[in-house]
Amino acid sequence: MASRRRTLLKVIILGDSGVGKTSLMNQYVNKKFSNQYKATIGADFLTKEVQFEDRLFTLQIWDTAGQERFQSLGVAFYRGADCCVLVYDVNSMKSFDNLNNWREEFLIQASPSDPDNFPFVLLGNKVDVDGGNSRVVSEKKAKAWCASKGNIPYFETSAKDGINVEEAFQCIVKNALKNEPEEELYMPDTVDVVGGNRGQGSSGCC
Amino acid sequence: MMQLSKKVVNMGELRRLACLGVPDGGGTDVRPLVWKLLLGYLPTERSLWPYELEKKRSQYSAYKDEFLLNPSEKLRRIEESKLSRKKELTGERNGLLPRSEVTNEEHPLSFGKSSLWNQYFQESEILEQIDRDVKRTHPDKSFFSAKSNQESLRRILIIFSRLYPSVRYVQGLNEVLAPLFYVLKNDLDTSNSTSAEADTFFCFVELISGFKNNYCKHLDNSRVGIRSILSKLSQLLKKHDEELWRHMEVITKVYPQYYAFRWITLLLTMEFSFNVCIHIWDAMLGDPEGPPDTLLRICCAMLILVRKRLLVGDFTANIQLLQHYPQTNIDHLLHIANRLRGTMPS
Repeated sequence: MASRRRTLLKVIILGDSGVGKTSLMNQYVNKKFSNQYKATIGADFLTKEVQFEDRLFTLQIWDTAGQERFQSLGVAFYRGADCCVLVYDVNSMKSFDNLNNWREEFLIQASPSDPDNFPFVLLGNKVDVDGGNSRVVSEKKAKAWCASKGNIPYFETSAKDGINVEEAFQCIVKNALKNEPEEELYMPDTVDVVGGNRGQGSSGCC
Repeated sequence: MMQLSKKVVNMGELRRLACLGVPDGGGTDVRPLVWKLLLGYLPTERSLWPYELEKKRSQYSAYKDEFLLNPSEKLRRIEESKLSRKKELTGERNGLLPRSEVTNEEHPLSFGKSSLWNQYFQESEILEQIDRDVKRTHPDKSFFSAKSNQESLRRILIIFSRLYPSVRYVQGLNEVLAPLFYVLKNDLDTSNSTSAEADTFFCFVELISGFKNNYCKHLDNSRVGIRSILSKLSQLLKKHDEELWRHMEVITKVYPQYYAFRWITLLLTMEFSFNVCIHIWDAMLGDPEGPPDTLLRICCAMLILVRKRLLVGDFTANIQLLQHYPQTNIDHLLHIANRLRGTMPS
């Protein structure tokens, strides 16, 4: 049966400079880590084929620059995103404090039709650093923030060791699909499922 | 490069030669001198060079004192000069300052606007950013992983950020600085290489002066900001290759912002290998039309050079191609860029 569902998912990664956005993306797409990534200027673009519930998708990932200077240039990248991934460094309080700014900036610039239910996923990266001894943002604090923003799914990751990266992106795909438009209504089997899932906020996949 | 030994360098001739490519190494590396002349750091009159260099180098040293000392060191110096002035006045009394003379404004815990400490803390975010980026400037090249060279880059970027508050520090300036410092530091004349940091600073200022608006966030939507430069590239492509322009911007919607933002703000330093980039810069600095317009022509030539691939590519393929520009024949690229000479869209 010919599916009318789309197969392209656009994901955008935001967060302060140096939190590991490029590393996370490269760990996920290329299964590689390097200490030598240069600063991202503007936005880098990668794609990956993913399978989710027997469907094949092309994930289009935009890895953005962290410095505030580049924010006003983000519109072109933000528009049409299906999921926004926010990243902070568990060893940096400032990168955590800035999450509100990133989230708001995204909602303003991307102006999604239903901002209250737009899917975000939060990643607390660099949990490997110093065996966790230099950590300054607790898991509890991060989860409290997620709860206050409508149950954003949360993962603690290490792009370096590949911890939780695959799981996080599985969740990102799943959440990106939440926003699928009404085409699904053409599929009689799924009407109930879709109806039942709608408006639940976070999928709870964490 | 006989030009360089003349009493007064003929800039027209020097530009013509530089565009053909500055010869590498071979015991007579002239590139440091050529770049200094092309950037206007050295005057054309040879006899003025020693004076000019000395003046600039001592100025840089004053900048270092002014911008790199931490507040307590600065205050110590202020107090010292106050003290010596007082001694001159009274001719007696040495020792401690009376408590009343340490103003509240300068106390480290004061939040007074003029507090040196307050300024210092505000800058710390920029300093961290510079540190992070200096460490990831060509980490694969031993030249750039040497501690002393990293320190030089760091100092130059800090002083620049303080002297040019409209730009401050924008990520990527480290990449623009790198080729300049590398070339000047490798001058075979040790009197130059030991002062490479100071010379590089001023050359960097000259180079950036033509591109400053690209780094200013508040100019992004103005007629002189980066967006307008990107649309100039788009117009240039339309003028010279309308079929390619149509495919890119109308059919596949691959706008310059997706790929050329980095090309332009980083002056192509991330698109080509380090040595290739230096050759491109020879032409960019030497071209009589000036670096900004020359850079745009080279960017347009980069598109035309891969037009066959772009014309069969979709959005994804084209963005990936342009974000990872393939290795190419640089002479050919510069030849195409040369042919695009003429009226620049305004």
